[in-house]
Amino acid sequence: MIALPQTANTLQTDTQLIRLVQVVKTFQSGAGVFHALRGINLEIAQAQFVSIMGKSGSGKSTLINMLTGIDRPTSGEIYIADTAVHRLSDSDVARWRGETVGVVFQFFQLLPALSLLENVRLPMDFCDLFPRAERSERAMALLELVGLADEAHKKPAQLSGGKQQCAAIARALANDPPIIATDEPTGNLDSATANQVIGLFEKLVEQGKTVIMVTHDAEVAQRAVRRIQIADGQIVSDRSG
Amino acid sequence: MKLLRIELKTRWVKILKDIWGNRQRSLLVVLSIAVGIAAVGMINTARHIVERDLYGQFRAGNPASLILYVSPFQKQLAGAVQNMREVETAEARRVVAAQALNSKGEWKDLALNALPNFNAPKVDQFRLESGAAVPAGREILLERRSADGLGVKAGDMLTVKMPDERTYRLRVAGIVHDIYVMPFSLMDEATGYVRMETLQWMGEQPYYNQIRLVAAQQKTDRASVLKTGELARDRVIEPAGYQVFRIQIPGVNSDPGQHWAQNQINGFLLILQVMGILAVLLSGGLIINTISAMMTQQARQIGILRAIGARRSQLITMYLVNVWILAAAALLIALPLGLLGAWGIAELAASFLNFNLSEIAVPFHVLLLQVGLGLTIPTLAALYPILEGTRTPVVQAIYHQGVRGEEQERPIDHLLMKLKALSPPVLLSLRNTFRKKTRLAFTLATLTLAGAMFISVFSTRASLTEQILQVGRYIAFDASLSLKPGTQRQTAEREALRIPGVQIAEGWASSSGVILHSDGSESKALEVVGLPHDTQTMDPALQAGRWLRANDTAAVVINDDLLESEPDIQVGDRIQLKIGEAKRWFTVVGITSKHLSGARVYMTLEEYGKFTGRMNQADVIRLRAEPGKLAAPQVQAQIAAELETRFNNAGLSEQTASTQNTLFSTFTRPFNIILIVLIIMATILSIVGGLGLTGVMGLNILERTREIGVLRAIGATNASVFQVVIVEGLVVGLISWALGAVVSLPSGFLLAGAVVKAVLQATVHYRYSPWGLLLWLAIVVLIGVFASLTPARSAARLTVREVLEYE
Repeated sequence: MIALPQTANTLQTDTQLIRLVQVVKTFQSGAGVFHALRGINLEIAQAQFVSIMGKSGSGKSTLINMLTGIDRPTSGEIYIADTAVHRLSDSDVARWRGETVGVVFQFFQLLPALSLLENVRLPMDFCDLFPRAERSERAMALLELVGLADEAHKKPAQLSGGKQQCAAIARALANDPPIIATDEPTGNLDSATANQVIGLFEKLVEQGKTVIMVTHDAEVAQRAVRRIQIADGQIVSDRSG
Repeated sequence: MKLLRIELKTRWVKILKDIWGNRQRSLLVVLSIAVGIAAVGMINTARHIVERDLYGQFRAGNPASLILYVSPFQKQLAGAVQNMREVETAEARRVVAAQALNSKGEWKDLALNALPNFNAPKVDQFRLESGAAVPAGREILLERRSADGLGVKAGDMLTVKMPDERTYRLRVAGIVHDIYVMPFSLMDEATGYVRMETLQWMGEQPYYNQIRLVAAQQKTDRASVLKTGELARDRVIEPAGYQVFRIQIPGVNSDPGQHWAQNQINGFLLILQVMGILAVLLSGGLIINTISAMMTQQARQIGILRAIGARRSQLITMYLVNVWILAAAALLIALPLGLLGAWGIAELAASFLNFNLSEIAVPFHVLLLQVGLGLTIPTLAALYPILEGTRTPVVQAIYHQGVRGEEQERPIDHLLMKLKALSPPVLLSLRNTFRKKTRLAFTLATLTLAGAMFISVFSTRASLTEQILQVGRYIAFDASLSLKPGTQRQTAEREALRIPGVQIAEGWASSSGVILHSDGSESKALEVVGLPHDTQTMDPALQAGRWLRANDTAAVVINDDLLESEPDIQVGDRIQLKIGEAKRWFTVVGITSKHLSGARVYMTLEEYGKFTGRMNQADVIRLRAEPGKLAAPQVQAQIAAELETRFNNAGLSEQTASTQNTLFSTFTRPFNIILIVLIIMATILSIVGGLGLTGVMGLNILERTREIGVLRAIGATNASVFQVVIVEGLVVGLISWALGAVVSLPSGFLLAGAVVKAVLQATVHYRYSPWGLLLWLAIVVLIGVFASLTPARSAARLTVREVLEYE
């Protein structure tokens, strides 16, 4: 695997990179009120590889949606590098997310009409952090990083699940965000590919990125340096090492 | 050579690829926009062409403001009229009713016009098409449509029969285009132009009988122009010892200086304009639905885009650009299509109304209108679904897809839950139909309006037919013939009854008269008709009062046409009629319906004789073969031919007999063309409605891909899936049909009223068309089935694995 391009976008801070303070999330449904998160307090430092593990319905996906700004807390505060994410408007949170958090989904969520190269370029297009002339080159370098340079002009449907996930990781790195958030990244992959993907995350952490990974797979979770267990909307254990 | 590389931003690449990747949906949007914009372009361009060419050519030839029908005079009289300061131009003309033999050996009516100066005609100028502009002696110029109708061309010989039955051979010296006469195809009467010397050679006395004048001021003001005619009569013509029989503004209820069909054309174009706007609005509704479909389909992608940094404003711009690209594509189709349609309408109009088309091009203001509408309507229509679609929270857009409940439950949902007797697949179809109520509402609105207009067009046809039948009540004869002045009624009736097969013969008399008002002014000219009180050749429809009776004295029945100019007259009123110098008071005992013959006053023959002094005289003879039933067209033609021969031989008439069938055919010909155009417009609206349902059905299926996968997983066969989908399409179609049937009641009344008013200048006798209702039912069922077939087929083809891994 080719070395990661040198990144400048690592947040130099001595304080915790991510802080959640009494975060509560409730959902209203036909069946009544559901408490997905019940007063979560959590701090994550920079360049940590964190796994969040729990059963179905434990609140782990909701928790990571709070961190990425994809969902908003019912109450509580979320600070990411001193940005009060919970106070950002919809427009601002989208821009903030494009610059700060690279999201990798369980089902890849690549745009089917675009090639891999175009999918990787898309976040750069929205955030304008890189000059237009450099974007294709950067996207190609990222695809090379994940071993997909030869498939750059193929569409997602022409590739296996593993390769699609690698392409999704390349897309998440497009704007060189300091944080990578991923929900069940290996849920649809075979063990060999899953191993490859986790290896990539480890490399990113070595480069100074903070990787937060939600998983229900204990074996995958063990690969993270810090392992958080969540059940019934509450953190029940938080282990490092 | 280095090629210039244009690298688009990836978001635009996505938009272009989305458009191409969903070609069917893109095509739907393009067609939705194109149909409405093409209709607007077609109608407005056609209007422009008609105004420019027809009305322009009409104005260019110095159209007569007024025609005065005068007793025989010499051309100097016209010069004297022209000397009036109220008159700009006055020209004498002689018109003789003759007949011409066509190439098939049939005699056709021919109006022979003799002009004082062919080198410089002053009023109602015609233009040379081919041959000589000025006929020599024993030569004739023919109007071009007449020449086509008679099957002759310049250089041919034409046999003409004069009123005294003598025939003459004239050489066709030239073909002219006269925009001021009704075309041969419409009236079945040819128009020819000869020198006075030629008429003399043909046995006619050399005099003129019409003055055509152009008013000096207020040329288009009806009252002013009529006043000018009256002044000409009172100051110049009658003091010179001549009699004015009639003062007439040329045309059919036209204003002075207007083309004879201008009111009808304008009215009809207005109706088409309204239907064009309706097509645009319907296509707007269609766009709303289709763009909603697109945004729903794109919901997850929108969520992903927002997850990777796209702001809402960026997304809104992206999808608006999507719409603008489709709108631009639609304009590329609509502009030439509209021009083609306009060409078609213009060609039809030019052929029907006998005018020349100059340039067929889209005028700039119409181009602006089409481009403006083509961009504005889609933008406005798409704005709401785009704003809604980009508002969905990211978490909902990405994660909450699949089998789930839809909009808030409403009473209809509770009602549908109570339906348990039907099979589950049918229940599923019914409940699916109402799942997305907003979308259903838009779809139903589009289909309902389309259906209402479709049925309305058929109701208009039925109403027009009814209107024509109403008019037919007043020409309820098999044959009629104008008689020589002074013909004794009993002589005419006796002679007519000798014709084999004829059981009824009625002699009617008529004169031109006026109503004298209390202030001394006179009404417009009207026709006073004396007829048998128990006439069997007319079936008057009474709007008020009663018909004439045998013992009536000083009683009259007026027609609704008279009320246009004398609206205050009611049953029971006394009116003072004047014919020539004779004046008399009458009581109005009844009012008949409008029968488009102009203002009329009916009285018994006895009263007529007393009033005019023309006791026992008849001006026209009307025949029936049998009471109560009109004869077949061939029988009518035979009776007419026999009538004409006998009466001409007996010296009772010099005219051509006419039948009810030929009068009707001529009268109804324009309406068929109008109805064809209306049906084309209704078809356009149906296409828009059908496109709407197709798009919605496709979206409905797409959204329920997972649900269909679940059905397949629990045992549903392809046939079952088909059934669920097609029943849903049918239900939507049937609901729209029912709603359309209700809406078509008032809309049909409005459309029929507008068409009858525009074309016949009359009030409608509205008839709802059950045939239109049934035909629309068949069409909407077909639309419902075909709109569902492709989505049903796609749904049935997906494997269970494919749909359940939809996530």
